[in-house]
Amino acid sequence: MRALAFAARSLVRQPGRTALGILGIAAVGALLFDMLLLSRGLVVSFRDLLDSVGFDVRVMSTDAAPLGGPRVPHASAIAFELAALPAIAEAVPVRLTDAEASTRGTRPIGFSLMGMDARGRRPWTLTAGRDLGRDAADTPPSLLVNRLLADALKASPGDEIAVRVVCAADRAALPPVPFRIIGVAAFPFDAAAERSGVASRASLAIACGGDGGDDADMLLIASREGYGPDAAVAAIRRHRPDLHPATNDEIVARMQATGFTYFRQISAVLSTITLLFGFLLITVLMTVSVNQRLAEIAAIRALGFSRARVAADVLCQSALLVGCGGVLALPLGIALSIWLDAILKAMPGIPSALHFFVFEPRALMLHAALLSVTAVLAAVYPMALVATLPIAATLRNEVVS
Amino acid sequence: MTAPLVEARGLTRTFPMHAGPVHALRDVSLRIDPGEYLAIRGPSGCGKSTLLHILGCVDTPTSGTLIFDGRPVGALPDAARSALRLLSIGFVFQRFFLLPMLTSSENVEVPQAEAGVGRRERRRRTAELLDYVGLAHRGDHRPAQLSGGEAQRVAIARALANRPRLLLADEPTGELDRATGEQIALLLDRVQADGTAVVVVTHDPAIAARAARTLLMRDGRIVP
Repeated sequence: MRALAFAARSLVRQPGRTALGILGIAAVGALLFDMLLLSRGLVVSFRDLLDSVGFDVRVMSTDAAPLGGPRVPHASAIAFELAALPAIAEAVPVRLTDAEASTRGTRPIGFSLMGMDARGRRPWTLTAGRDLGRDAADTPPSLLVNRLLADALKASPGDEIAVRVVCAADRAALPPVPFRIIGVAAFPFDAAAERSGVASRASLAIACGGDGGDDADMLLIASREGYGPDAAVAAIRRHRPDLHPATNDEIVARMQATGFTYFRQISAVLSTITLLFGFLLITVLMTVSVNQRLAEIAAIRALGFSRARVAADVLCQSALLVGCGGVLALPLGIALSIWLDAILKAMPGIPSALHFFVFEPRALMLHAALLSVTAVLAAVYPMALVATLPIAATLRNEVVS
Repeated sequence: MTAPLVEARGLTRTFPMHAGPVHALRDVSLRIDPGEYLAIRGPSGCGKSTLLHILGCVDTPTSGTLIFDGRPVGALPDAARSALRLLSIGFVFQRFFLLPMLTSSENVEVPQAEAGVGRRERRRRTAELLDYVGLAHRGDHRPAQLSGGEAQRVAIARALANRPRLLLADEPTGELDRATGEQIALLLDRVQADGTAVVVVTHDPAIAARAARTLLMRDGRIVP
């Protein structure tokens, strides 16, 4: 009977303690797994979110984060210039602002309004009605709203609503302008409780009384197939050194270096603590088990089992406990991560498509590697106990006791 | 004259204690021939078990020389001593020390597996040994399901698993009633008759009387 089978039988002999050990490791392993998912979850999810809208470069007026700096003036002309570059397939100026919408006799409802000249790629998914057309000259101007705003307004495609746009913080409020809801769409960057809509930039300029009509908060750029985002960024920098383009990867890297580091740090601290708990749990269980079996171990040493063999038995027991617990930890960790993700996503301003816990194969591999190391380290002390056990003295003490 | 299986020369064993060193063995010399039946008697604390442990290579003398089958044991590293015990020495303990999570058969198989014996040969040898000790029908039973006498018989079968040249028994009937002890004594007689040297440490004069030679110990010395 080899060491692994021997260890398995030893564990089965003590079902209560074995079950406690496995459950303990499952709980610790689930937390560890979640911390590993959390450590890169936001980064992966944020990158997926950026990529999902079909544009791989953002152009801003400064190096500030998108929507964090001054607007880009003369955005239409710049978009036209950039779209003519060979590395660029599409350039779309985007303006974002706050607005209020109301139907007849109802109280105004606040929402986020995006002004965007819809061309080929559209960073939303139409769910009802019709999409914005390329021609922005509708009267009244067309508007797509998300489901929450449509429900709040009790409006559906074809209905006319009044929209008052907050064009600038230092300007007096403008009178509301009629818009027609032509469709309902899902916007990937919407928070769970966010009401939002999109209209053409021209419509937004009308609602603002013509003020800042050709400004944009940023330009969304889609690189041409065969060139890629890095080539697109290089081309923009050559053509317009005054602009600040960034690929999705660069934006993610900037976010990773600032806001997302907190999650990584929290994850590292909690991972270390959970591993320490797992290490202590297995070390204590194995040490107690070994101490209760000293006479038995001394007897098998007397029968000719080598030090390495009895130490291997302990290592295999530790590996089995941690292995079984680690496997059980995965479904437990996934269930826990779904629950925690839902709690964290309830924070205001978090896009509902963004996830804090994202599964990656590397997280699974790291989980397995960390638990394996824990199993080995946890077995070191009890292995040393059995390997250095004085056989004769132990047998003598057992008989005397 | 045959070569001795075990030859001990001037063995001493001193245990350092807080209250002062305890001299468990003092200048003990003896010779055990192949197939011999030797009993070691003496009062508690006289050094019987210490001598047995040194003869069985589970303890090392403070001074003196132990030669097993022509090989000095003192210079052997732990792994070689383990191998020597595994292949050449069988141990029978007062408290049996069968592995409780294994069946009788598995307990007998364990030393064979450790010695690298193939599964088929292990099964055959185990069945043969359980039959030898009269427990062929108890192979699937765990130690907790055996009586004391049965457990000791399984322990003897386990000790014989790798065909040792020397069987060491430390108070093998110490936990058993008289009738069961008699059965064990008969079994040890048979083991010796089949060619294995047997050394029994015992308080029981009836067991000692079965041996061809009895050593009496007192205060760590063999009484002449």
